[in-house]
Amino acid sequence: MSGYRIHRPGERINRQKPVSFQFDNVQYKAFSGDTLASALLANGVRLIGRSFKYGRPRGIVGFGAEEPNALIQLETGAHTVPDLKATQVELYQGLLAGSTTGYPSLDFDLKGLLGKFGRFMPPGFYYKTFMEPVKAWPVYEKYIRKAAGYGHAPVLPDPESYDHLHHHIDVLVVGGGAAGLWAATLAGRAGLKTLLVDEQSEMGGWLLTERRSRIDGLSGMDWVNQRLAELASLPNVSVLPRTTAFALHDLNLVQAVELLQDHLPLTERNAALPRQRLHKIRAHQVILASGAIERPLVFGYNDVPGVMTAAAGHSYLNRYGVAVGREVLVQTQNDAAYEAALDLAQCGVKVMLADARQGGAAAWRQQALKSAGVELLLGHGIAKVLGDKSVSGAQLVKLDGRNNQVVGSGPRLSVDTVLSSGGLTSTVHLFCHNGGRPVWNQQQLSFVCPDEGRDNIACVGAITGRWELSEALGQTHAAVAALLLGHGRGSSGNAPSVASEEVAAPRAIFRLPDGKPEGHGAKAFVDYQNDVAAADIHTAIRENYRSIEHVKRYTALGFGTDQGKLSNINGFAIAAEALGKPIAEVGTTTYRPSYTPVTFGALAGPHVGETFDVRRYTAMHASHDARKAEYEVVGQWLRPWYFPKPGEDLHAAVNRECLATRNSVGVMDASTLGKIDVKGPDAREFLNRIYSNAWSKLDPGKCRYGLMLDENGMVMDDGVTACLADDHFHMTTTTGGAARVYSWLERWHQTEWPELKVRFTTTTDHWATVAVVGPNSRQVLQKLCTDIDFDKDAFKFMDGRSGTVAGLPARVFRISFSGELAYEINVDANYGRYMWEEVMKAGAAFNITPYGTETMHVLRAEKGFIIVGQDTDGSMSPNDLAMSWAVGMKKPFSFLGKRSLLRSHTAGEGRKQLVGLLPLDPKVVLAEGAQILSNTDDTVPAAMQGHVTSSYHSAFLGRSIAMAVLKDGSKREGDTVFVWAHGKSVPAQVVSSVFVDKEGVRQHA
Amino acid sequence: MLVITCPYCQEAREEEEFSYAGEAYIARPAVPEEADDATWGDYVFHRKNPRGWHWEQWQHVAGCRKVFAVKRHTVTYEIAGSWTLADGKALYLKEQA
Amino acid sequence: MPKQGFQPFMESPLHHFKLDAEAQPRRADGRIWCNELPHLGYAVLRGDTAEAGFAQLVEQVTGLALPLKAGAVSQGPQGVLMWTSPDEWLLVSHRQRLADWTAQLDAGFAAQQLFAQTVDSSGGLTLAWLGGTQHITVLRHLGVYDFESIPLGHMVSTVLGKATVQVIRLDGDGVFVLFRRSFADYVWRLLRRAAQPYGFAVCQLEARSDHPLFAQLAAPQPLLVSA
Repeated sequence: MSGYRIHRPGERINRQKPVSFQFDNVQYKAFSGDTLASALLANGVRLIGRSFKYGRPRGIVGFGAEEPNALIQLETGAHTVPDLKATQVELYQGLLAGSTTGYPSLDFDLKGLLGKFGRFMPPGFYYKTFMEPVKAWPVYEKYIRKAAGYGHAPVLPDPESYDHLHHHIDVLVVGGGAAGLWAATLAGRAGLKTLLVDEQSEMGGWLLTERRSRIDGLSGMDWVNQRLAELASLPNVSVLPRTTAFALHDLNLVQAVELLQDHLPLTERNAALPRQRLHKIRAHQVILASGAIERPLVFGYNDVPGVMTAAAGHSYLNRYGVAVGREVLVQTQNDAAYEAALDLAQCGVKVMLADARQGGAAAWRQQALKSAGVELLLGHGIAKVLGDKSVSGAQLVKLDGRNNQVVGSGPRLSVDTVLSSGGLTSTVHLFCHNGGRPVWNQQQLSFVCPDEGRDNIACVGAITGRWELSEALGQTHAAVAALLLGHGRGSSGNAPSVASEEVAAPRAIFRLPDGKPEGHGAKAFVDYQNDVAAADIHTAIRENYRSIEHVKRYTALGFGTDQGKLSNINGFAIAAEALGKPIAEVGTTTYRPSYTPVTFGALAGPHVGETFDVRRYTAMHASHDARKAEYEVVGQWLRPWYFPKPGEDLHAAVNRECLATRNSVGVMDASTLGKIDVKGPDAREFLNRIYSNAWSKLDPGKCRYGLMLDENGMVMDDGVTACLADDHFHMTTTTGGAARVYSWLERWHQTEWPELKVRFTTTTDHWATVAVVGPNSRQVLQKLCTDIDFDKDAFKFMDGRSGTVAGLPARVFRISFSGELAYEINVDANYGRYMWEEVMKAGAAFNITPYGTETMHVLRAEKGFIIVGQDTDGSMSPNDLAMSWAVGMKKPFSFLGKRSLLRSHTAGEGRKQLVGLLPLDPKVVLAEGAQILSNTDDTVPAAMQGHVTSSYHSAFLGRSIAMAVLKDGSKREGDTVFVWAHGKSVPAQVVSSVFVDKEGVRQHA
Repeated sequence: MLVITCPYCQEAREEEEFSYAGEAYIARPAVPEEADDATWGDYVFHRKNPRGWHWEQWQHVAGCRKVFAVKRHTVTYEIAGSWTLADGKALYLKEQA
Repeated sequence: MPKQGFQPFMESPLHHFKLDAEAQPRRADGRIWCNELPHLGYAVLRGDTAEAGFAQLVEQVTGLALPLKAGAVSQGPQGVLMWTSPDEWLLVSHRQRLADWTAQLDAGFAAQQLFAQTVDSSGGLTLAWLGGTQHITVLRHLGVYDFESIPLGHMVSTVLGKATVQVIRLDGDGVFVLFRRSFADYVWRLLRRAAQPYGFAVCQLEARSDHPLFAQLAAPQPLLVSA
C-alpha cells in the first residue's frame, strides 16, 4: 500500500462524486474524473500484470497512451474489451476490470518461475530452442501460445453501434495542449473552418499537470478555459475531446476515433447513439501539436512495480490528487523532473533526487528543491532497484561526469517509489505515417519534427523539440501566422506571453551504467511490454543485426499496443552505442498507423449486420419469399437458389424442378442478368468490334448469342443481344459481369473509337425478367398475350417481339438457357411481381414450377452451356470452349481478342479444353474443382490434366454428369480419365459436353 | 486515398468515386493481323510501371462515367493534372517528343 | 392502358418497407424525416449539345432548359432535368407525362436525324426525400463527398456506403436521394441507420403543385410507359 489521496488545488477529480469499481474481483472506491490507473494507485494497488516473456510483476509506469504495462480487460461478456490501458480508461460507477496476465493468478505466476531463468531466454529464444524437429512445432506452439499474450477477445456479438463521419475542413489541429489551443484560436479567429481534436477527456495537455506557468498573466488552466470559451464562441470551430487522431494519410486525410460513450456506465449508455465514431477528416492544412512524452531511464530492475516516469508521478499528484508514494526517489538527467520532485515534496512526500549530471539543474531549481527539503544527489545514477512486487529501495552508483561509466559506489536508499525521467520524446507518429522523417536533435535528445518542409502540414510546440512553454507558444504563433498568410488571411493578436526560465542542458544518457558488462548485472528493461532488456539489444547487434528495423524485429522492441512510445528512443540509443554510431545515423524504425489501438467496431462503422454489404433484390423478391425460396448470393444479388417443398432437401427440390421444367413448364426470375441499351447509327459496328461473332446481318426482331473476349483472346463475358431496330440493341450480360461489361464498353468507346456514334445505358434495374421455360411455355404465354403470334414459325427460336403481356407493354425474347422451348418476358420492374404472379396463375394448369439458380445450372449443364467464371477462368479461348462457331474471323474489323487467337501459345497444342465427363459409376457426382489425372499412379508430383468445372446429378438423364477442362480435351473423347478428390480416384469417360438433345429439337419446338 | 479532379464534373472528388482504367495512350496496332507476336504481346501485356510520373486513365464510375487522363507521380502520389483524353494526349505527345 | 381481365399493380423499390403505414405529418423537431416518392417516371436523355436543334427540342417538349453545367438541375412545375454527364441527362416527371415526353422527343430526334435518344428507366430508379435540420450530417455519416458544399439547384453523383447515388439539393429544407431499384433496400437501411441517433421518422409527402418533384406525386396510378 503506497499510493494515497492528497488534496490538490485544481485537481481534475470531483470529490463530490465518489464511484465504486472492481478490479480483479475486489471492490474499490474512487472519484469521478479518475482514470482506472489513478484510482488503482489511490487505493494502493501496484501489481497490475505479469510480463510477456518472464512473468515478472509489473505495475503502472505512465499516465496515458504511452503505458506499456497496465493492460486490463474491461467488463465482461459481450461488452468486454481486451488490453485497454488502465491509464486511458475513464472511471465510471460500477466499472469492472481485471488483469490480463498471470497464471494461475496475478500474485503467483508460473511463468514468473520461468522468468527466473531469464538469462537463458535470449532474443529469438523460441525459434532457437524449438527448432527441431520441425514436425513438433505445432505441439510447442500450442503451449507457447497458452503462456503468451494479453487479454482475450470477446466471443459474443458486439451489442454497441459505431459510425463514421466525414469532414472537409480548412484546418485540423491535432492536440489540445497549449500549442494546439493557440493554433486553433488563431485559425478560428481567421474564419477558417477548424477542428481541434485531443485524445483526453479534457483539453489542456501538459497544463493539466503543470501548475506553475502563467500565460498572459493567467494560470495555465485559466488560460485554457479562456481559449475554450473563445473557441466555443466561434461557429467555424469544433472541438472534439476523447478523439485520437491515429492515422495521417496522403493529402491530409486524417482518421480519428472519438470515444462517445466509453466513459459512461454500461447502464447509462444510449443505445441509439454510437459508442465510438470514426472521423475521416480531409483538411487543407493539418497542424500537428501532439506534444511530447517523457521517457524513463534504463536501469537495473527498472520494471519493479512502483517505478514510474516522473511525468506520471507528477500528473497523478496534480490531476488526480494521488501521491504515488511516501518516500520517492526521482532519477533524472534533465531539469523538468525537478518540478515533479518539488510538487511532491511540497505535499509532504519525502523526496530524494538523483541527477546523472554532475552540475544538476539550473541553480534556481536546485535552490527551490533544497528549500522544500529534497535531498539532492548530483552525479548519481540507479544501479538497480530493490524489491520484488513493489519497490523497497534503490542502489545508487556514482557516475563519471563525461563517460557513461561508474566511478564509485553510491548510497543504498530505502524508498517505496522511483520516478525516472530520461527527457522528452516528441510524438512524431502522425508526421511520419505518410513518409515524413523526424530529425535527431542533439540538444533536446529527441527525434523531432522539422519546422518546415511538408506541404500543408505544420508542426508546432513540443513536437518540434520546444520543451519550454514560452518557446513552444512563440513558435506556434509564428508558424500559424505564416500558414494563415498562405491562406490569404492575417493573424490577430500577439503570441501569448510566458516568462522564460533558465534551463541547464540535459545529459545524453539513456542507459544508466551499473559498472558491470551488459548482460551480467540486473536486467534493465527498455521495452516493458515485450520484455526487451538493454542486454537483448546488445545480443541482437552481436548476432549481426545491423539495421534498427532488424533489431526491432529480432528483439520485438517497440511492437505491442504501446508501439514503443517509452522504449523506442532508449532502444535506438542503446543500439547506437553498441554499433558505435551516432543515434542520428541509426535512425528510427518506421511509424505506421495506428498511433493507438482502434476497435474493429469503429473501423467497420455502419458496415455491419444488414448494412454490411449491398444486398440487391429483384422486384419479385416478395413472391419468392412467399414460396419459401432458399437464396444464394450472386454478385451482391440475392437470388432464389431452390424452392423446397416441405420435407425436401436441395437435391430433392432440384430434381423435381428439373423434371417439371423439362416435362411441362418451369419459371425463373432472370431479372439479375445485366442489361444494356445500345443505340446509335454505329451500334452494329460497335458490337462487331466488342463481340467475337458477327452482327452485321442480325435483323430487327432477332436475337443472337454473343461472346466477349478480352484483348488476350480469352472469354470474359457472354449473353444474348436482341436487335430492336437497325440502330438499337438490347444487350444482356452475366449477372456478375454487368458492371464490368458496362465499363468495358464505355472504355473502348471513349478511348479507342470515340468516332463511333453509339451510346450505352444500363437498364438492368429497369427491366424485370421472367423466364418461362419448358414444352408448355408457349401455352402459358398464349394465355397472357393476344397481340403476339406465338406460332412456332411466326415466333422462332432466337426471335424477339414487343407486345402486351398480362395487360402490360413487354419485350418477349424466345431464348433458352436450358435447351427447352422458352420465353423471357421483360417488363417495367415496378410491375415485376405482378407479372410473376400472372405467369404463375396462367401456368397453374400446367403445374408451373418456380426454380432457382441450382436447377438453372443443371439444365444448362445438361446442354453443355458454359457459365463464364465457372467453366472459364480467364484462360479459356472460344476454341478451348469448342465455340469457334461464335468467332467471326472474317469480320473486316479486327475485333477485340482476334489477333491474340492467332498467337502461337493460344493457337498451340496442350491447352485445356472444355469436355463432358460421365463418371463410370452413374451414381457418383464428381467434386467440382477436382483435379483430373490420366492414370491411377500415385507418382508425385502428379501430371495434372485439368479439373472439373461443373458437376451435377441429372434427374432427367437419371445419372451424374460433369463439365471439365482437360488438356487437349477436344481430341480425347472416349478416353477414361481419373478424377481425384477427397483421397479417392474416380474413373470417368470423356464425352461431348452436350448431354441432352444434341440436335436442338426441343428448343426449336 | 487520392483526390482526383474529374475534368467533366469539374470538381475534385475522392478516389472511391473512380476506378483505375490502366495506362493511358497505349496505341492499339492499326492492323493487328500485321503485327508480329512480339509486337502484339507487347501491346497486350507490357506496361510502363515507372517510378515517377505516369500517364494513366481513370473512369468516374460513380459520377459521369467518363474516362479521362491523369498524370500522377507513383512515388509521391502527386497529381500534376487531369484532362479529357483528347486534351491530355496533346500534352502527353509533347512530353514524349 | 391495361386490358380487361388484367389488373396490373405496381410496387415501388421500397414497397416492402410499407412506408405509408408508418408515415406521419412532418413536425419541426430535430428528427430526420424521410420517405420515398414512389412510381415517378425517369428517362435517361442522351444527346450532343453541339448538334443544332437538340437543346431546343428538349426545351420545347419538356419546358425545361437543357442544363449545360456539371451538376446543374433545371426545374419546372412539371419535373426536373438534371445534368449527369456531358452527353447525358436525367428527366424526372410524372410517369404518364414522362411517357408522353419521351415519345415526342424520340419522334423529334428521328425527324431531325439527331444522334439523340431517351431510355426509359422508370422501373429502375426511385427517389427518397431526406429532411430535417441534420439531413446533411446524415449524408456525411455515409459518404465522403462534401455534401455541405452542394449549391442549391444542383445534384451530385457520388457514393453512399457502397452504393452509387445522386443527391439532389433544390432547397435548404432537405435533399432528394436517387438510387437504383436493386440497391434500394440497402440504401434505405443505411439512411435509417445513420439517421437513428437523431431520431428517424417517415413523413407524409404532400403533392405540392408548386414543387418540381413533389408535384409529380399527384395524379392517379397506374400509368404505363411503352416498352
